[in-house]
Formats: sequence, structure tokens, C-alpha cells
Amino acid sequence: MPSSPGRPFASNPASWPCDPMNRRSFIKRNARLILWASALGFGIRLPRLAKASQMPDIALATGDRTAATRAAVDLLGGMKRFVKPGQKVIIKPNMSFAGDPEDATDTHPDVVRELVGLCKEAGAQRVRVLDHTLRREERCIEGVQKACEVHGDDIVQAVSRSRFFKSAGIPDGRQMQETEVMGEVLEADVLIAAPVAKSHSSAGVSLSMKGMMGLIWNRGIMHSRFDLHESIVDLASLLKPDLVVVDGSRVLSTNGPGGPGRVLKRDTIIASRDMVAADAQAVAMFEWYGRKLKPRNVKHIRIAHERGLGRMDVENLRRQQIQVG
Amino acid sequence: MTLQRTVQVASLILFILLLAGAAFRFAGWLPHDLFLQLDPAAALLTGLSARIWLGGFFAALSVLIATVVLGRFFCGYLCPLGTTIDGVEACLQRSADIPEKYPPLWRRFKYGLLIFGMTAALLGLSLAFLVAPIPLVTRFFALTVLPVFQQIADLLLQAAAPLANRFDLTGLMYLQLPLPRFQWQWLTLLLMLLILAGSLWQPRFWCRNLCPAGAMMALFARRPILRRQVTEDCVDCGLCARTCPTRAIGDDPRSTLHHECIVCQTCRRVCPTQAVVFSARPMDRTRRLPAFSQYRRGLLTAGVCGVGTAALTLSGARHLLGDTGTRRIIPPHLIRPPGALPEDDFLRRCYRCGACLAACPTNTLQPLGMDTGLTGLLTPVITPQMGPCDPQCNACGQICPTAAIRPLPHRERIWAKVGTATILRQKCLAWELDRKCLVCDEVCPFDAIVLKKLPEIKAPVPFVIENRCSGCGFCEHHCPVEGQPAIVVEPMEALRLANGSYQEKGRSLGLTLELRPRMRRPEGQPAPYPLTEGDSGSGLPPGFSE
Repeated sequence: MPSSPGRPFASNPASWPCDPMNRRSFIKRNARLILWASALGFGIRLPRLAKASQMPDIALATGDRTAATRAAVDLLGGMKRFVKPGQKVIIKPNMSFAGDPEDATDTHPDVVRELVGLCKEAGAQRVRVLDHTLRREERCIEGVQKACEVHGDDIVQAVSRSRFFKSAGIPDGRQMQETEVMGEVLEADVLIAAPVAKSHSSAGVSLSMKGMMGLIWNRGIMHSRFDLHESIVDLASLLKPDLVVVDGSRVLSTNGPGGPGRVLKRDTIIASRDMVAADAQAVAMFEWYGRKLKPRNVKHIRIAHERGLGRMDVENLRRQQIQVG
Repeated sequence: MTLQRTVQVASLILFILLLAGAAFRFAGWLPHDLFLQLDPAAALLTGLSARIWLGGFFAALSVLIATVVLGRFFCGYLCPLGTTIDGVEACLQRSADIPEKYPPLWRRFKYGLLIFGMTAALLGLSLAFLVAPIPLVTRFFALTVLPVFQQIADLLLQAAAPLANRFDLTGLMYLQLPLPRFQWQWLTLLLMLLILAGSLWQPRFWCRNLCPAGAMMALFARRPILRRQVTEDCVDCGLCARTCPTRAIGDDPRSTLHHECIVCQTCRRVCPTQAVVFSARPMDRTRRLPAFSQYRRGLLTAGVCGVGTAALTLSGARHLLGDTGTRRIIPPHLIRPPGALPEDDFLRRCYRCGACLAACPTNTLQPLGMDTGLTGLLTPVITPQMGPCDPQCNACGQICPTAAIRPLPHRERIWAKVGTATILRQKCLAWELDRKCLVCDEVCPFDAIVLKKLPEIKAPVPFVIENRCSGCGFCEHHCPVEGQPAIVVEPMEALRLANGSYQEKGRSLGLTLELRPRMRRPEGQPAPYPLTEGDSGSGLPPGFSE
């Protein structure tokens, strides 16, 4: 059968009963069909996964810090997704500096109180808020302790004796291969990181990954023997929070971690299951020293991404934003 | 239990509670230095050496006046050292009822010791810390006994922690007692053991023969109004004389050495015929016993010894007492507590009771060794490696019974600069090893550290802004460099004011001592002083990289 070379179908449109179809529309239609079918199939067989896939990787809530904390966690599917009834939860805020909330050197007490409340609502058997503070313990935890009193006495503790720490290996550590971690953190069912968003003149920023240094005994060694950024990632490979809530209600944008620095009022709470993504989102969305910077400008975020601990390419992640009160 | 024992135990408990209150920081309104203020020897020797009259001396004076009425009741009822000695003797089952091997003449030594201390004090050397009983016993309990009990209590807490965790007793599980540690605790213990060892020879060996406070009270108790009297019922059995813990009863049981009597009333209790009464009504036929004036020669010798000791001490190269001119050795770690008087005044007043050390919440205050000779032995120094000196804390000044450390209101306290930090660049991780370390900057409560990027060094390196530095030692304490820290506080530029305002003096010297939160600025406003300088190599802010 003779045919013109190269265009077999176009040369004979009459042979098609319906709309003319070229290769592009054919591929398009079939791809759509496959996507719908697979989505439907997953929907029928794996309803929870389907629901999860609709949930954002990063939740952003702006507005009143207490309401925003709840809203951000709700966007991720609510605290019930992270805390099961009867579980033991450790919350690690940043309480190192004994500053006023306006100094933005520490997590706002309201945010911590709301997180404790959410955990209790989800049926947690026990919630403890722990930190190995830098300044005098009682003064550091004062604010958070007072805020959390509504949920019970003694929830908030500054742990400063070596006997509360247990040696733990870091199997994925490249530089730091062992450290002493608060014994309770190793035994807890759920770990929630609740850092404040602040700059840090050695680490660039001090967010959830850097904040894990508040759960170990010897952090000096991370400055003295190891590369700070590498060892932060080593530590993050051991202490991976189940949930990260970054308190961006105020951002210490310069002269962190101790301040005093320029404090930006941003009324934003960032929540994610992925500590790298949460930190990266905070770096990307706030100004640091009056500049816009990229997550890869923070070495420990970059390394964590490269080592597969999480993702810093926040622009490729599902982000959902909500405005409250 | 007899009345005496009851009062003794209650008094000792009160003494320990007051000390523990200072150490554990409870009941701040209590006079935690009460017993120290009652010691007449400590007051006299301090007053002489510092040439001052302090309000607290009235308490000691009232003890002496009360002695005129009641005799040496202080020794028998209130003195914590006396009670401790009685307690140890009870444990040793040392009975008073054994023949004395040593002559009662030994009693005169206490007057000698008093004169010895007084002449030394006249030359400016206060030996109150060696001879006055209450500073000594305070130091013993504060620096030796309490820390040991705290360690034991902590071990118990540690053992109980798993159980507390199981029963959700979070507060108990994380209860972290202060665990003070002190250097030279063996010396404190040794002095106490020497005193207690005397009890192997005689009951209350110290009180009878050595205690200068006892000597002072004895001078006021020649014939107290309420005193031991013997009625006609006495049958001369001599039991009272044999059981008297201070041998204040002569060969004739009717005679009493009132100045040696500590009013314990053992004689009244043991008397088979109830012939002994303590009363104001004159009924005794006591012979006046020889006064101490006949020991004149001995006392003169003691006085000469005091002068000699002081002169010899002051001729040492290391002492910092009196006019040392330009020839002086100031140890680099001689960092005095905030508000400490100028060194000379300070040494004349400090009787090393250890109250400040016990009250210090960060344990940074440590007793000094022989670094400045005998004149500085056991005086308090800030030891940043043990802990930082909290710029908002004035516990040492509040408790100091002689105001050798001035009590300061909050605003003044922050300006009481104790020294200046210096960076030892050859040990610094940033300067020497190109490591990104900012711990000193991070912990400084005064923002006295600035990190700068120098072209030839990879990491930003720290500098101390001297006029912002208070010498609190947070930097030295937290410096991650092991062994010799890379940043150290030295007494350089410390403010030591006998009177007047630290704030005014500091301002006039160009200091800017403000805590960080006060320097907060609203958004957008430029910094009034250089912020941490950026990483000029990459053009990015500090800590960030391409």
C-alpha cells in the first residue's frame, strides 16, 4: 500500500471514526486515564495514604501565635497523627537564654503551652518539656514553666546533671559517632521540636536541627573537635523529631543566638514532619541580616538534604498556608 | 533530755537551718549570719584589724552584757562549736568523771590566744579566721558537712529516679540539688579535727583552754548575777567537781570558778543532796579565785607573739595587706567577689566564715589557698572554671557578716566589675584552628564579645570589648577548649570601692555595663554598636555560606 512517508495517519483522516487524534493528545489522554485510575485505586485500597497525600509537607499558619500553633498542626492532620493515646511525648523548645519573649532568643511560652495542650488532647500519657539550658536553669525555664502550669506541675524541666544523660551511638554519624543524650528522649515515643526562629553566628540559623544540641550533654565538642555543621547533621540523624513546629512569631534576624538583635514580628508558625524542610522553609521565608537567603546558604541544611535526612527544596514541596484570628 | 541539751540541739539545728537556707536559697528574710554576729572574738578582732565599728557588733556586745547576768550561757547553750564538741564527746563516750591529768593552768592559754589575736589585729592582720569559734564552725559546716550531705542526698535521689519516673513524679525525678564542691575542704576538716582531738585529753578542751570568745566572756563572768551557789546541805562528796565538764569547781565543792562555768548545771543534777542551786540570792561561801592578772608575764609573751606573727606575715612577699607599694604579686586568678572592698580593707574584715561560699548559687566562689600567703588563706575568689558569677546575683554581699563584700542593690551590682576577660589566641579554636566557634559570644550576658572576620583567618574570630566586660566569667566557664580555657578572666580593671557608687565610678571610667535585654531595639533601627560582623569572604552574614 502506497503511503506518503512520515505521516501515516494524517494522510488518511477518513480511516478514523471519531475526532482526529494525534500522538500528543493520545499520550495526554492515556496519561490522564492512568493517573485517575491509579488515584482511584489508591483511594479505594489505601484510604489513609490518599488522605496523607493531600496533606501538606509544610504547614504555615499566620496570626495569633497560640491559634496559629494549633492551626499549623491541624493542617498536617492534627496532633492525633503524631501522638497516639498512651504515648510519652518529649517537647524540645529553645529555652537557653532567659530573655524576655520580645528578645526572640527563646521559644514563646504560649507556643509551648499550646503544644503541650494538643498532646494532652491527643491522649498522650505523659508530656515533658526538656532542655539542657545554657544560662542559669531556673531563670531560663521560668516563663515556659509558668505558661505550662495549666497542664500540670513539673512538666517543664531544665536538665543539667550528667546522670540524666545516656551514651548513644550515632550509626549514621560521619564525624560525631556517639554522644550522651537525655535518657528520657531515647525512651520517648514521640519527640517534638519547637525551636524559635533565630540567627546564629556560627550555624547561620538555630532551628530544629541545631536545637537538638539542647538534648545532649557535651555540645562543646561539636564546636571544638568536629565541624559544627557536619556534627549537627550527625546529631539530626540520631534525633529526628516526629514533628517540628518552628515558632516564627518573632524572628531574631541578626546577632543570634544570644541577641540582642533585630527582632522581626512575623506571627508565623511553621509545622512539618520533616525537620530539614521546616528549617529550610524558615530560612527561605524570613530575612536574615536584612537579606533574603536560600536554604542552601545554611551548610547544615544543605548537608542534611544531601544525606537524605529531609528536603530543603521547599519550592517543590506541598505547602499550605492558613490565616487565623 | 535536759534543758541544756534541748536548747543546745535546737540552737545547732537553727544554726544549720540558717546556713542551709543560705545554701539552698530559702527564707531570704532570715538573718543567715545570726550566729556569726554573736561571736565577740570575731567582732573584736575584726573591729581592731579593720579599725571599724559595725552595726553587727552590737549583737556580740549584747552577748557580753548578758554574760554579766547569766554567766557563760553562750558556751553551754548556744555555741554551735560547743554543741558539736559535746556531741563528739558523747559519741566517744568520754566521761567527765575521770581524773584530770593536766593542770588547770592550761586555761590561761585562751587569754593568751585572745591577746595574741588582738596584737596581730592591731598590726592589721586578722587572725579571727584561725581563732574565733563561730567563723570556724560555720566554715566547717558550710564547706565540709553540708556538701557531704548534699552529695549523699543526691545519690539517694539518683537511686530513686527510676521509681519516680515510673510513678510519673516528674518533679522528684528531675530534682537537682545544688551540689557545691569546695577546694581546701581538708584544711577546714583538719582544723576542726584538731579542736576535737583535744577532747581526748579533756572534755571541752577547746572551750576551756583555747577559745578567745570564751576568754572574753570569762572576763565578763567573774561573778555573774545568776550563778552557781551551794547551800548548807553540801556533804563535800566532790561528785560535782569530778563531773564538771569545765572543771569550774575547785577542790572545795563550794567554790566556783564562775568565769569557767558554762552554766550546764550538771553539778546541780548530780548532787545527791540538792545542795547546788543557780540563783541570784547570795548564799555561797565561794572564795574569790585568783584573777588572771597573775598571768601578766604570759599575756605579755602572747602579745609579743601576736606582734611577731603579724610582722613576720606582713614581711612575706605574697601578702597584699597594708602598704605594699609597687612590690606586690597579684595572682592572675585573684578575682574577688563583686562588691569586695579594696584588697587591704577586704583582708582586714574577712574572717573566712565561708558563708558567701555556701550562699553562692553557681559555686564559683572558692576558698583561696596560700596564693597570697597567710593573709589570703581561705578568702573567697571567683573561679570561672567552676561556674560563672551571675551578674544579677548578690548572694555573697547579702550574707557577708562584716560587709567585706558590700551588699549592693540591683543597679549597682551589675556595675561591680570583678575583672576583664582576655582571649588566649594561641588556644582559641577560631583564632588558631579555623573552627567556627562563638561560644564566648553566645554566653556573654553583657555582649562584650564581638566576632570579626579577618582576611587571613577562615572563621570569624572573637575580640573582647573591654569596657563592656564585667569579668563575670561566663566565657571562661563555657569555653570548649579543655585544660587552659582560651578566654580567661583576670582581676585587671576590677572596681574595688570602699564606698560610693559603682555605676558612677564605672561611667566615669568609660565602662558600659548593661545586660543584653536592656539593649533591645525596635525593628529597623540601626544598632548603636557594631553588630557581629559578616563573613566578608563570602559576602554573607555570619554563619551562612555559599
